[in-house]
Amino acid sequence: MAAYAIRRFLGLIPVLFGVSLLVFTFVHLIPGDPARVMLGQRATPEALKRLREELNLDKPLFFNLAAYRKTGDPRRLFDSQYPAYLSRILRGDLGRSIFSKVSISEELRARFPATFELTLGAMVVALLVGIPAGILAAIRKNSLFDLLVMTGALVGVSMPIFWLGLLLIYVFAVNLHWLPPSGRLGIGVSFHPLTGLLVLDSLLERRPDVLADALRHLILPSLALGSIPAAVIARMMRSAMLEVLGQDYVRTARAKGLPERVVIWKHALKNAMLPVITIIGLWFGTLLTGAILTETIFNWPGIGKWLYEAIQARDYPIVQGGTLFIAGIYVVVNALVDLSYGLLDPRIQYR
Amino acid sequence: MKRWFGIILAVLALAGLGLAQTLVYGQSKLPVTLDSAAAQDGNSLRVAKQVVETLVTFEPGTVNPIPGLATRWEASSDSKVWTFYLRKGVKFHDGTPFNAEAVKFNFDRWNDKQNPYRGNKEFVPFTWVFGGFKGEGSVIDRVEVVDEYTVRFYLTTPVGFFPQMVAASYFGIDSPKAVMKDPDKYGTPEVGIVGTGPFVFDSWTIGDKVVLKKNPNYYDKKRMAHVDTLVFRGIPEPTSRLAELKAGSIQIANNLSPEDLKAVKADPNLVAVVQKGLNIGYLAFHQQNKPLDNLKVRQAIAMAVDWQAIVDAFYGGLGERATEFVPPAMWGRAGDIKPFPYDPKKAKELLAEAGYPNGFETEIWYMPVSRPYFPAPQPIAETIATYLADVGIKAKLKTEDWGTYLADYDKGKFPMYMLGWSPDYPDPDNYLYTFFGPTSIKTNLGCETDYCQKIAGLIQKARVSPDLAERKKLYAEAQRLVHEYVLSIPVAHNNPLHATRKNVKNYIPSPLGSEDLYMVEVK
Repeated sequence: MAAYAIRRFLGLIPVLFGVSLLVFTFVHLIPGDPARVMLGQRATPEALKRLREELNLDKPLFFNLAAYRKTGDPRRLFDSQYPAYLSRILRGDLGRSIFSKVSISEELRARFPATFELTLGAMVVALLVGIPAGILAAIRKNSLFDLLVMTGALVGVSMPIFWLGLLLIYVFAVNLHWLPPSGRLGIGVSFHPLTGLLVLDSLLERRPDVLADALRHLILPSLALGSIPAAVIARMMRSAMLEVLGQDYVRTARAKGLPERVVIWKHALKNAMLPVITIIGLWFGTLLTGAILTETIFNWPGIGKWLYEAIQARDYPIVQGGTLFIAGIYVVVNALVDLSYGLLDPRIQYR
Repeated sequence: MKRWFGIILAVLALAGLGLAQTLVYGQSKLPVTLDSAAAQDGNSLRVAKQVVETLVTFEPGTVNPIPGLATRWEASSDSKVWTFYLRKGVKFHDGTPFNAEAVKFNFDRWNDKQNPYRGNKEFVPFTWVFGGFKGEGSVIDRVEVVDEYTVRFYLTTPVGFFPQMVAASYFGIDSPKAVMKDPDKYGTPEVGIVGTGPFVFDSWTIGDKVVLKKNPNYYDKKRMAHVDTLVFRGIPEPTSRLAELKAGSIQIANNLSPEDLKAVKADPNLVAVVQKGLNIGYLAFHQQNKPLDNLKVRQAIAMAVDWQAIVDAFYGGLGERATEFVPPAMWGRAGDIKPFPYDPKKAKELLAEAGYPNGFETEIWYMPVSRPYFPAPQPIAETIATYLADVGIKAKLKTEDWGTYLADYDKGKFPMYMLGWSPDYPDPDNYLYTFFGPTSIKTNLGCETDYCQKIAGLIQKARVSPDLAERKKLYAEAQRLVHEYVLSIPVAHNNPLHATRKNVKNYIPSPLGSEDLYMVEVK
């Protein structure tokens, strides 16, 4: 198991290297560059050239053949953008935003906890709604409840988050004034977070007022973001449960007179959870990396919105650093999901 | 007893909160940077403007220059040497004195690429206004400290509107001490900025908010801030900004959609504020594409479209039809230009005369993003194309990503394209030189004919003339020629819509985009 885990994690290194290469190539393939965006309508060719030089965008992407031919020095071959970028990353430096000059690790440190907290909130919603709904629908297959759950799941999957988010804001914030429309903390709340996860920090610093405020802000975006995974998990849970309930060992358990409660919650559920765990893991990764719409509507200071804006502005360092970070998170979450199978199902052996 | 004490404390704390005024301003984005000469967007400049001040500023709500950190200024007879007399007894928020040395420090930092205190900034806006850096086209040659409170600018060419240039919000004077401490990080969330303004930088939470506090030691009692705390939040969607305003979590919502005007007026808690716009949206022709080099064809296009109907349909009652490229809120207009009438019959005749009785095929490019001057680019482009189809011109609609769009429009790739402008500094030069100056008339419009050279010549001449009356005449003449030869078609000036809660008083938006907020009160 340990050896497998080590191998699994070592295998991530080439994956991340490939990601860095791909992202770098694609970002530079998009037409338009930051110098253009900065100079906008007023760009003269000379100003563009000068700004490109200043931003180090004038060098070749991969191999500096011109410099090599001129000097004959093979080292000059790598006097180009990607090698410079790679060596910076290996030194742990993700670079700085071209426009704001803020270091990318600093931005990630401030923004990732926000995205992480929102993802956790959305997953809590998804699990609390999706798993019980799926199980109950499976037990009462073809009942009215089943129909309701499946219809609800269809609606949940197909409803655009954008629309749902605005609806939630209008109902609960604008009209009823129950919950705040956006942000993570009220304007008047003064609080210095330790980790950036406000719910955790408020507990650590014993600030019940901050805890309440942070939770109130978390509810609406979590509902909006959690709606799709809740629906997917409910459907997955239902079908997995139905499959397991038809198996022999369940019949045996029932035959030996175990109460239905024990059959379902102890025997069937454990096996039915396996495919659901995979889905949960995948969704956790997806939500961590792709909550752009929710973050935009609820003005959540996370990484999705930040990356989106950086792509618009061709802020190469942010796009490259941010994507690499996200890819890292994604592959690590997937590796952890792989490893968790062994804990849930002893039949699965890692070699 | 203990519990009572706690309750009393809580009541006192609440009362205290009630007395301290907080104003929360909702704009579309948080600042990118607060180092104002490196800031390229209105959202950055609006925040920076409350903290750092310019030598010359504008009367709130207008484009009339008034004294800022300089109390008066004068030009040499040839407009090549400008002297500014500075306000005395002003201190930066860090306690260091504001004086001629500080002004020189700031301009040298921006102008000279070798300056050690630039940090890692490019100061691109400086080049927009002054034409480049020192030795690369900058109109500022050097800055001289005459005495403690007098500073002199030596220019490379005569510039008649130099005070308007230094009044641009990019050129807020920063504390030299604060800049020198860490030029790289100056203006970032970590260290913020230090100026002389009515508000002091307090904190900037990445992705969340910027908090400014009232400067209780401000030198001018008349411009003392009214609110104690000023918070800026970035809320990208106009619908979300309106929702937040309705929910009461912000007190001012900047830049709403025109169609929200009704919703704002229907809510008794809100007040709509319409700002005089200085923007212009236009349709340009790139004459390297045939048959757009034919004057009759261009005239036909101008008459084939009911521009007034477009303005009525897409600007929510807030826009006005443009007849010239300099907006009505600015001087330097011809004033007597009659817009082309909507006359499809005449347009067809003109096309026939030009040799295209059955029309021709062309392309209209529209921007992929909504701008103040074109709130709905795609539907507007579709409407234009429909009108053109009526006279036989088949225009294909095309667009591409905004960054690429800006990279392509001056390459002649777009036969016809929609574009627009909001000024960097309030002078006709900033419009006309940008659209029809010697370089842009060639690259942006693909026009090298005699009349184009004449227009460019007039604008170039007006640029360097120190005589206001002469400049007025030159700009009027240039605009008449632009109209006569239909170089581009001015479409609309939009007047942006903002809204406040009813208890907000004295909110005066600026036609220039970034307004002062010291006078705003929350009752």
